[in-house]
Amino acid sequence: MDIKDQLGSMRAGEISRRTFTRNLLAAGVGITAAPLATRKAMAAAGDQATFFTWGGYDIPELFVPYKEKNGELPNFSIFGGSEEALTKMRGGFVVDVSHPCNSGLPRWVQSGLFQPIDTSRLSNWGDVMPELVSLPGNDAEEGTVWLAPFDWGQTSITYRTDLFEVEGEESWDMLWDPRYSGRLGSLASGGDAWWCGAIKAGVPMDQIHTDEAFEKIAAVMREQRPLLRTYTDDTTTLEQALASGEMVAAMTWNSSATVLKAEGVPVKFASPKEGALTWVCGLMIHKDAPNIDRAYDVIDSLLSVESGKFMINDYGYGHSNNKSFEQFDAETLSGLGLSDTPSDILGAGHFQVPQTQEWETKMNTVFEEIKAGF
Amino acid sequence: MSDQTLQTRSAPVATQATAGRFGRLMQRSEAARGYALLAPSLIFLGVLILVPFGILLVMSFWTASGFGFDTGFTTANYQKFFERPIYTALLNRSLFISGMVTVFTVLLCYPMAYYVAFHVHRHKMLWIVLMTLPFWTSYLLRVFAWKVVLGYEGVINSALMNMGLIEAPLEFLLYSQQAVIITLAHAWAAFAILPLYVSLEKIDKSLLEAATDLGDGPVRRFFRITLPLSLPGVISASLLIFIPTTGDYITPALLGGPDGAMIGNLIQKQFGPINNWPMGAALSIILMLCIATISLVFILLTLFVRKRVS
Amino acid sequence: MSGESYIRRPNRPLQIYAVVFLILLYVPVMFLPLFSFNDSLYVRFPLEGFTLQWYGELFQRDAVWNALWNSVRVGVVVAVFSTTLGVFAAKAITRYRMPGKGPMVTFIMLPLVVPLIIFGVALLVLLSQLGVALSLYTVAIGHMIVCLPFSIAVLIPRFEGFDASIEEASADLGENAFWTFWRVTLPMVGPGVVASLMLTFTVSFDEFILAFFLSGTEPTLPMYIWGQLRFPQQFPSILALSSIIIFVSFVLVFAGQWINRGALSGSAKGSVS
Repeated sequence: MDIKDQLGSMRAGEISRRTFTRNLLAAGVGITAAPLATRKAMAAAGDQATFFTWGGYDIPELFVPYKEKNGELPNFSIFGGSEEALTKMRGGFVVDVSHPCNSGLPRWVQSGLFQPIDTSRLSNWGDVMPELVSLPGNDAEEGTVWLAPFDWGQTSITYRTDLFEVEGEESWDMLWDPRYSGRLGSLASGGDAWWCGAIKAGVPMDQIHTDEAFEKIAAVMREQRPLLRTYTDDTTTLEQALASGEMVAAMTWNSSATVLKAEGVPVKFASPKEGALTWVCGLMIHKDAPNIDRAYDVIDSLLSVESGKFMINDYGYGHSNNKSFEQFDAETLSGLGLSDTPSDILGAGHFQVPQTQEWETKMNTVFEEIKAGF
Repeated sequence: MSDQTLQTRSAPVATQATAGRFGRLMQRSEAARGYALLAPSLIFLGVLILVPFGILLVMSFWTASGFGFDTGFTTANYQKFFERPIYTALLNRSLFISGMVTVFTVLLCYPMAYYVAFHVHRHKMLWIVLMTLPFWTSYLLRVFAWKVVLGYEGVINSALMNMGLIEAPLEFLLYSQQAVIITLAHAWAAFAILPLYVSLEKIDKSLLEAATDLGDGPVRRFFRITLPLSLPGVISASLLIFIPTTGDYITPALLGGPDGAMIGNLIQKQFGPINNWPMGAALSIILMLCIATISLVFILLTLFVRKRVS
Repeated sequence: MSGESYIRRPNRPLQIYAVVFLILLYVPVMFLPLFSFNDSLYVRFPLEGFTLQWYGELFQRDAVWNALWNSVRVGVVVAVFSTTLGVFAAKAITRYRMPGKGPMVTFIMLPLVVPLIIFGVALLVLLSQLGVALSLYTVAIGHMIVCLPFSIAVLIPRFEGFDASIEEASADLGENAFWTFWRVTLPMVGPGVVASLMLTFTVSFDEFILAFFLSGTEPTLPMYIWGQLRFPQQFPSILALSSIIIFVSFVLVFAGQWINRGALSGSAKGSVS
């Protein structure tokens, strides 16, 4: 008998109103008590540091040293993109550590939401590659830094070796190839796509802010749009489309190619002759970080060799700790699209030159119009 | 009565008089009782709507400047809306897609709600539960499930290919406006069924029997009694679907492809990567005005038709 | 009342329609459990083989369970509170003549007109100005803004549908307002209340946009899933999670019906004797 039937039988006088009331009350008490009962179980997380990061970094494998020291994992809060993250923190969201990338660094610093990192408090700092530390805008006062570099990689083209016929050298032209119209894909964020467009259009990275460069890149992006199956922010979409043959080539990060290869899909992460787009992401401490000591523990844990091994092996990303690469032989690394001398790869690519907030706004406004077909 | 006496007796003498006067006021004045019942909701929403809404309206007349805002009053954002073609085009597309979703969902859910309200006599709640059970799963995953169905190697394509009806997968199924409409209609079906069911369920069955006794056939009976009486449910179902779907951005982002983007995507971008909050606020104000106008016209039209019918 | 009225007669085409409707409602959702047992990272046909690997992974991930738990807690609290407020408001709106009722109702329904993303940003700014830390409470407050109008919208047709004179009769017989409400009004609008609870829970459980702006360090399930989309290695375990949710809801709903029947037949006997 369900509630409707119960109502029916009440009208028919089969059960008293008091009985009905009692049943309803019992149900009501049960419902409202439920969330209260769980609160005890949830209190255990306690005063751990909060790490505001991309999905996929909220896993125990990256926090082995942290857990040894503090007994628990840090708390995680997840964002889908670093602009979203900055928006949220500017709105008053307070965390201990967050995870931006090099092109956003000056704007993150400018927002006044972060404090310099005292590198003497990081046991792994001595092994961090210096070329990753000396990013533009990363020098705070008295030898401290704003951002502790953690992971790095490239934005390039992952293509199906069995379905895409490369003409000559690998090149950004592959994503503008009319032979594969409707079977090409691209990342949706201007932070990747616009800069790759600049490489394709032959605009030097340090000229990207000029009006002339703007016109050139916009023209290139407009030319590409009708050839694309879709723009997307999530790499899963691109990887699945590549695995199924729906797309034959797409703009991706390293990890897509690594993961697809592990699945047995015949793909290659291209080294375009014009150079790939190179990026470095790292860790910043919020100015009002409530657990400052543990914030340093989070960073130190991520910079450790254990975490580095996991990043390289399972995600195919570069790590900022030189010693992480010693764990792998040259063959394994080149299979992952990395190298035992990481500075080679970093040097060969195009490094993003950070731009002003006005430029970002203008670029994204134009790019959104282009994506929508205007 | 006994409870009341008990309460009064235990209360101090001084407050007894005021309580009595207050009680009498409540008894006498309908309005006072109404306000008292409405007060919790009004106060709650008052604080949490008026203040944010005020911020939104004021902000739509500002301009973005780096990280901050130039708070000088200007209608530049509204001018930009009419100058650049992208804004009106995306707004029209959103209204079109949501309109289609609303029509399909209400048309498809009405017979279902009707069936449960009139032809299911045992375990009605079970039926309602069955109809809403899929919606316990995450919205994101349901959108993703539709990607599996409509996808390149998805259910529809592989079934059609196995039957030999097509040779290559149909690409228009995914990354198109149709994909957005289908997914939204499926995702919002529970929102249509519940209000429809509630309004159909409360129809007094004896009215229908009276109509039958007076010689009305099933069709005439439906249009003379059932449909007009269930119109409140149809209206609330339609508005419950139309309004939120115009602002949706997740479904178009995942399934719409380049040609399926809606105004919600653009608003979200203004607050995210584009970082032009005042423009986003202006777009939202315009969207809200559009929705309000359309809803008002829709309600008035339905009421007019109902009057004509009855 | 005769059981032979036309209403009692089965309507065959409608019955078939209902079954087809239910099947179409479920089929897309059922692909989630199907692929959660598939031995591949990718959600595509043909299936590659049976595995329980994704479920095993899921059990090792506390984060998934925390997110699920957070969503359930927010959903239940939001459903109970917004429906409680909704019942009072719906009664006031349908029962009492008040000056200024029209504008007040319009005002209460306003959250349905405002795109959620705007509420999200505006509320975030408001909360930070007030110095309120983001938590599941702020998510619940955000969800209640959305759920309250939903609740009222569902309840109003119910209140409109029943005869106010029954309540007046109860009052004439000496019941005070509370007991009239508890023993007459509530049972009469019961189906609406149930519908409202279900609807508001669903809205809150599904809601992503407000949660995105208003959640603190504890993510709700949609938030967690959104974050995981970037990493396909996690996706099969998310499928496994949703399969578990589907299964558990089935079991819970059926168990609820069964337990309720047992309690009822017992109490029905008691009241007869």
